[in-house]
Amino acid sequence: MFFRMIKGAFTRQWKKMMMIALTVALGSSLATAMINVMMDVGDKVNQELKTYGANITVVPKSSSVVNSLYEIEGADTQAYLLESELGNIKTIFWAFNIVDFAPFIDTKAELGGEQIRLVGTWFDHHLELPTGETLNTGVQNLRTWWDITEGEWLSERTWDKDTDPVMVGEALAKRMSLHSGDTVTLSTLSGNKDFVVAGIYSSGDEADDEMFAPMDTVQLLSDKDGYLSSIEVSALTTPDNELAIKAAKDPGSLTISQYETWYCTAYCSSICYQIQEVITDSVASPVRQVADSEGAILEKTHLLMLLITILSLVGSALGITNLVTASVMERSNEIGLLKAIGATNGAISALVLSEIMLTGIVGAAVGYFAGFGFAQIIGQTVFGSSIEMKLFVIPIVAVLVIAVVLVGSLPAIRMLLSLRPAEVLHGR
Amino acid sequence: MVVALLAISVGAAILSGLVTIYYDVPRQMGAQFRNYGANMILVSSGTDTEFDLDAVQDAVSLISGDELVGVTPYRYETVKIHDQPVVAAGTDMNGARTTSPYWHIEGEWPAEGQALVGKTEAEHLGLKVGSTFNVTYSGEGDEEVTDDFGTDMTVSGILETGGSEEDYIYISLDELEEIAGDGSLDIAEVSVSAVKESLNDYADRINNADLGVSARLVKRVTSSESSVLTKLQALVLIVTIVVLVLTMICVATTMTAVVTERRREIGLRKALGASDGSIIGEFMGEGVMLGIIGGILGAVLGFVFAQFISMNVFSSSISFRPLLLPVTVIVSVAVTGLACLSPVRSAIDVDPALVLKGE
Amino acid sequence: MSLLQLKNISKIYGELKALDDVSLEVENGEWLAIMGPSGSGKSTLMNIIGCMDKPSVGEVILDGRDIAKESDKGLTEIRREKIGLIFQQFHLVNYLTAVENVMVAQYYHSLPDEKEALEALERVGLADRAKHLPSQLSGGEQQRVCIARALINHPEIVLADEPTGNLDEANENIVIDIFKQLHNEGTTLIVVTHDPEVGEVAQRMIVLDHGKIKTDRVNPDFGK
Repeated sequence: MFFRMIKGAFTRQWKKMMMIALTVALGSSLATAMINVMMDVGDKVNQELKTYGANITVVPKSSSVVNSLYEIEGADTQAYLLESELGNIKTIFWAFNIVDFAPFIDTKAELGGEQIRLVGTWFDHHLELPTGETLNTGVQNLRTWWDITEGEWLSERTWDKDTDPVMVGEALAKRMSLHSGDTVTLSTLSGNKDFVVAGIYSSGDEADDEMFAPMDTVQLLSDKDGYLSSIEVSALTTPDNELAIKAAKDPGSLTISQYETWYCTAYCSSICYQIQEVITDSVASPVRQVADSEGAILEKTHLLMLLITILSLVGSALGITNLVTASVMERSNEIGLLKAIGATNGAISALVLSEIMLTGIVGAAVGYFAGFGFAQIIGQTVFGSSIEMKLFVIPIVAVLVIAVVLVGSLPAIRMLLSLRPAEVLHGR
Repeated sequence: MVVALLAISVGAAILSGLVTIYYDVPRQMGAQFRNYGANMILVSSGTDTEFDLDAVQDAVSLISGDELVGVTPYRYETVKIHDQPVVAAGTDMNGARTTSPYWHIEGEWPAEGQALVGKTEAEHLGLKVGSTFNVTYSGEGDEEVTDDFGTDMTVSGILETGGSEEDYIYISLDELEEIAGDGSLDIAEVSVSAVKESLNDYADRINNADLGVSARLVKRVTSSESSVLTKLQALVLIVTIVVLVLTMICVATTMTAVVTERRREIGLRKALGASDGSIIGEFMGEGVMLGIIGGILGAVLGFVFAQFISMNVFSSSISFRPLLLPVTVIVSVAVTGLACLSPVRSAIDVDPALVLKGE
Repeated sequence: MSLLQLKNISKIYGELKALDDVSLEVENGEWLAIMGPSGSGKSTLMNIIGCMDKPSVGEVILDGRDIAKESDKGLTEIRREKIGLIFQQFHLVNYLTAVENVMVAQYYHSLPDEKEALEALERVGLADRAKHLPSQLSGGEQQRVCIARALINHPEIVLADEPTGNLDEANENIVIDIFKQLHNEGTTLIVVTHDPEVGEVAQRMIVLDHGKIKTDRVNPDFGK
């Protein structure tokens, strides 16, 4: 009979129930969308902040020390990193968080009587990792702020092998009146070499006076085959906290459990530490300008989204509570009758609560999927990528909806129970 | 009634709160982005005018005061410390704090007679916080050394940035002048809290003002900032729209429920001879009143909420937008009006006799 | 011993004495009509007899139990077990069919039994309308569903509040006929009404005025 009554209420009063379900659905879709977006906004904004370039630089341990101490300009005493170890960066614990990286080596060259810096690097290097993964990485991703004013980005993979390409800074190109497609002859330590200008870029910094060429070309020119002078790494990191700061100073000062927490969290310092572990004689340090700002911006964005989420949750909770209260109160006549014909308080509460809960569950389920849609709309329009749906949002939303519906209906039910059937039935 | 009013004010509060935040995000977040440091640099334009502090002041005065976060002049000279050549930068330490908030300093910012030493340089020279060193200036080329005995300075802090700053030592401009004599500035960093377009505008204005100073934007910072900021604002916008639409529907359903509950009253009025028009008019009037009261209440509440968020997230206050009050009120009136219309109409179609009999 | 005994009961709302020292005994199988103008205390008396309210002063003994001493829960139980209620406004659950409305009473009493419920509807001549919703039934039919519901649990007392108040003459007669039939079967009937025609057919009639019993007489023409 109980179920017949509930069935009756649903099949024959579906409009009323629909309205409650709709409100619950709206509320829960909002909650689902906002919680999902909030959970993902960190990662998304983090990705966006990658446009600022690398947040970690790796240099050989004692390059400049040796260089300056003995004031030797000769390259032989300078320390270098090994190119063969580069792939190791993608094998560390936080490998998944390493978005891009590029090695650098530079050499001096002469052009038109002027000493210039020729930098060798990867542009869009195709890398096959020992893990079987493949990856395209290089300065194309690490110098997003470069404007290509002439020609196009140098591509290692599509460049015709017969000539050697080079990219030239805008200021330098202007001084030397170089244009894309021109051939330039650079005189270096190991003789003259012809390059074809693939593109001219404007960077707004000292790179405007430099030239960039593929790694292996510059290594050959400077007789440093297989060696690198620095690596720039762009990694997704977690904003530093006290533990990270303490660890950055000296990982040895941590207790074992602190160490594990630190090592297994994507702090900038722990990623640096892990890179040092896989690259021989290297020092990896955070680029403060980028790493610190990222932390601050991420934190603010997170907090902002959290508060907006709370705001919208409170709003939808109030909306649901309102309607549930109104709809329960509306039924005072029916409840009065049921009491008059002998229904106990328990039986009435069970009936009303089951109906409301059932409506709530239907609404919440519909709302969850609608919220999924909303989250995707937000993800696609704002970040151009989908928002990852976290499974744990389901129980959160379910608990929230149940709590809100319960809280919304309890005062009304209490009021109904205190009704005297005589009062209701005589229409007072 | 209370239920309806509550629903409307909550809806209006969310509307005004989120819109306020939406408009304030670029300003507030922009301030956060100043963590990235200077986004404009001033250099000598190569004319005869000397590039000095006055020229920098003149150039900076073209930038609106509340958008200017900080300005720091730099003069680089090669000096010798323990007979090693070192690049010394003379600067204004207070300026450096604002334009380079990302500098990590182990120790203290320098006072008089003190210097900030880059981490790499400190390692070469074996300097620690508190060490004393002697600076001499060898002059450019073959010039005579201006001060035979040099100047003694203490290290107040070691600078760590992960960038080229680690290769320099930083002292105040006055002290660099004492050591190396008069000289012009090399560069001035300016940090401006503004979007890319107005930055370009400022740069053009400075370049056209013929101050002997040319302004250049730090592309890495400006272009990245505008791309990230656009995304963030779009995020808040979309979220605002989604929340608004859902809230409005919530308000509308609540209003519908409230009006539907009053069918009996509508039936009674009809039975008493009220015309359909007058009933609609009365109910709509009530709806509009509710919309106005709820709207005003909500606008105020929303501002309080936005203020709360701003204080908590950005620790700075938000300015009240007077225009938002009428907009909130109009939107809530429109929503309540629309929400009342259809249930009132359907209630009017009902036979009054049936309604009064308690159907 | 009488089925229902009211001993010097009063019901006081603030200043107003809705019932003022009323005493009344109802025998098993009796058909009593309670009449009186509006405000005479009819409804208050009915609420007390129907175990929906308690007197301020006095004792109400129904089948040996004192209602005035019962808790709300106890009252609910007595209502369920001993009383069948018929309302002027029928008060059917509008999303349940006729037979389901009858079954609701069974459900709260013991176990719903559709067959029994259908038989109850048949008794009031509504077997063919069993699957209809209240909104599809006429006023008279709704009232008969209400009666079927009141009877389904074989109550000691059937209490009707203005049962014909919302009905036309034809339906009124149908309802009176059902009452007669119930009386003949030995059911105790208490009908609150201000319709003299309904009052006249009862076995005994009391008239309330200002909270006191003004007249209490046995109908001499009863059964003729």
